[in-house]
Amino acid sequence: MQYVTRESAFHRLHPLTKLIFAAVVVALAVLTSDTVMLAALAGAVVAIAIVSGLARDLLRQVPLLISLAVSLLALTVLTIRSGEIICYLVPQSIPVIGGAFPVTAGAIDLALAMSLRFAAMLFAFQLLVISTQPRDLVHVMDRLRMPVDYTLMFLIALRFIPSLQLEGKRIHEAQLARAYNPGNGLAGKIRGLFPIIIPLVSNSLGKATILGLTIDLRGYRSGRRTPMRDLSPGRADVAGICCMGLVVAGYLAVLLV
Amino acid sequence: MSPETGRETALSLRGVSYTYPGSETPALNGISLELRKGEIVFVTGPTGAGKTTLCLAASGILHHEYGGTLDGAITILGNNVRDYRNMGEIGRHVGVVFDDADAQLIFTTVEEEVASGLENLGLSREEMQRRLREVMEATGIADLADRAPHTLSGGQKQRVAIAATIALGTKILILDEPTAELDTEATGAVSALLRRLSGEGTAVLIVEQKLGDLAAIADRMVVVEDGAIVREVLPEQMAEDACLQHPAGDGARPPAPAAAPPGAPPVISVRGLVHRYDGVVAVRDLDLEVASGEIVAVVGENGSGKTTLVKHFNGLLRPTEGSVTVDGLDAGSVPIAELARHVGLVFQNPDTMLFAETVAEEVAFGLKNIDPGASEEPVDAALREVGLIHRKTAYPRSLSRGERQRLAIACVIAMKPKIIVLDEPTTGLDTREAGRVMEILGRLRQGGHTIIMVTHDMRLGEEYADRTVRMEQGRIIRDSGIYEEEPCLKSCSTSPGRAPFTASTRSPN
Repeated sequence: MQYVTRESAFHRLHPLTKLIFAAVVVALAVLTSDTVMLAALAGAVVAIAIVSGLARDLLRQVPLLISLAVSLLALTVLTIRSGEIICYLVPQSIPVIGGAFPVTAGAIDLALAMSLRFAAMLFAFQLLVISTQPRDLVHVMDRLRMPVDYTLMFLIALRFIPSLQLEGKRIHEAQLARAYNPGNGLAGKIRGLFPIIIPLVSNSLGKATILGLTIDLRGYRSGRRTPMRDLSPGRADVAGICCMGLVVAGYLAVLLV
Repeated sequence: MSPETGRETALSLRGVSYTYPGSETPALNGISLELRKGEIVFVTGPTGAGKTTLCLAASGILHHEYGGTLDGAITILGNNVRDYRNMGEIGRHVGVVFDDADAQLIFTTVEEEVASGLENLGLSREEMQRRLREVMEATGIADLADRAPHTLSGGQKQRVAIAATIALGTKILILDEPTAELDTEATGAVSALLRRLSGEGTAVLIVEQKLGDLAAIADRMVVVEDGAIVREVLPEQMAEDACLQHPAGDGARPPAPAAAPPGAPPVISVRGLVHRYDGVVAVRDLDLEVASGEIVAVVGENGSGKTTLVKHFNGLLRPTEGSVTVDGLDAGSVPIAELARHVGLVFQNPDTMLFAETVAEEVAFGLKNIDPGASEEPVDAALREVGLIHRKTAYPRSLSRGERQRLAIACVIAMKPKIIVLDEPTTGLDTREAGRVMEILGRLRQGGHTIIMVTHDMRLGEEYADRTVRMEQGRIIRDSGIYEEEPCLKSCSTSPGRAPFTASTRSPN
């Protein structure tokens, strides 16, 4: 997940507008557990991505979201009994253990709500990251008087996601060239992680030191940043903020009614 | 003010000694060095001599960021490093290019990377734009402005890191192995830029293993060994200084094994290979054949498609179009684990693969993957071959850079592949260690292995390979295997479009 050079409508918005957009989506997602409203929220974010031509980038997160939804569903079905029983994981016709692990409507609702909430937040955050250059985000966070350490931590985190992915790929390739086989069964798979994890952690620690020094030496603590590009908000930002205001008002009205 | 030159001192180290936390042996031992404004000082020495530690000391990083024991005085523009509050304050005067270019690239486009430091200097937008354009053009990265740094080749990343540092316009520049991965053209561009900056009063401290173009622009050269300065040499004396050359061998190629019988199938055959990454064509319509027992150097400028080509030999990349046959197997479809029995790949950075507790376990890893019941004998034989049998029980990551490179080669040798591919086998190594690696490759060739080495160092190919294949923009533009025998093809090399040369299966021998 990182900035994608493109001329989309969302790219052209002021970084602060996009930051507010992500914060609003996160807040609205946290405020409700209603699956219909959460689905509408996630759908609205996807619709914005489609209009901006960024839908394909968002779709890359779908496998992650599906695996998360399945894990949440398994967890809630196994641990929560609330509401109407829909079915049983072990059919009632089986003697002795029949009727174990009932699947309840409450468990499915909760899993669905959590998955949709996570999807809405992830999509909104991804839209922010792929459409905003990190230095512009740093400028905005500076203007918002965020402590410089938090701003730099955010910057490093953004930088490290693709870097770790790339380093992991490189290490994986190096081990594949040695006929690396991740192994069978859970124990084998866990043992099989060592040839990847150990070089990844060792190399990343070394890189983190240099990265921190580079940030310092480039003056990111000086606090006198001048953006090279004009970052003044435009009409689209005003319209965007107004739309968000209306959505928030409508959303709260539905919640309170 | 220096009494000798009348120039002001920019950076000074007096009796500097340093011991890393947890170590008992000092990494620097009584270093005294003065760098004057407008002066270029070139520091060289063998791997592990303390050159990088010297860079860290001179830039104040040891004092501000590392623990350990630091003695002596380090002054930057007349002020002791202890008087600067933090590295941010030192960064206004000192620019540092570290030896790991990858780790210095923070942002998501090349232009953003170079502009990032400029935005923190309080300059006007016009001045920032002017500096940005100037530095990007001078370092040859203007055409990479919108590329994501992580998609660049090693040499391109190094140029971006240099540009981002030089753009800051600091009075002192410290560069640790800035051209280790740069080709001749890029090194020349960086040399010219540094020479111009020194003419404008910037003091430049360069640390390098190799005595190339950067050494030629230096006003003074300093040789470091075992953490101490052992002598200062003038540039014109460097070529004759036997101690600096560290000859590891006589440079002569080892005798070739018996030539492959006429008509024998090539061990590698590439036909019409095209490879695209995210819409970028990295290799285009490439043909190549390699005979058994050859040492082939694949050379070319950064980003010319060398690494992309060789990754097809062991299945790490599959052709977008065309075919690759390796030892009779279709490398486009055979599983990587199967190809690993035939082709060993030594990556540029050995640290990408080292994970085991001991050197012997590390070597045994690949061998056991292809033969779980294998004995210890091939492990010992591989370690003897690379001169590491005495380090058999050592922790792999505690070895020196050169030893780690030889260990990576041992890991591949133990698997007994017919073909060994090495990506930049001597990058980061001093002359002595590079010579040892090349000697090992020579012996392996005598043992019947086919060796393919990817390098941006043209001289390495000329000195050690039987045949040099030169790539440019994803194509082979010259193949010495047929170039010498069919000089009429030379004229084709200037014609645009298709690759002018197709490799020959004939060994020059």
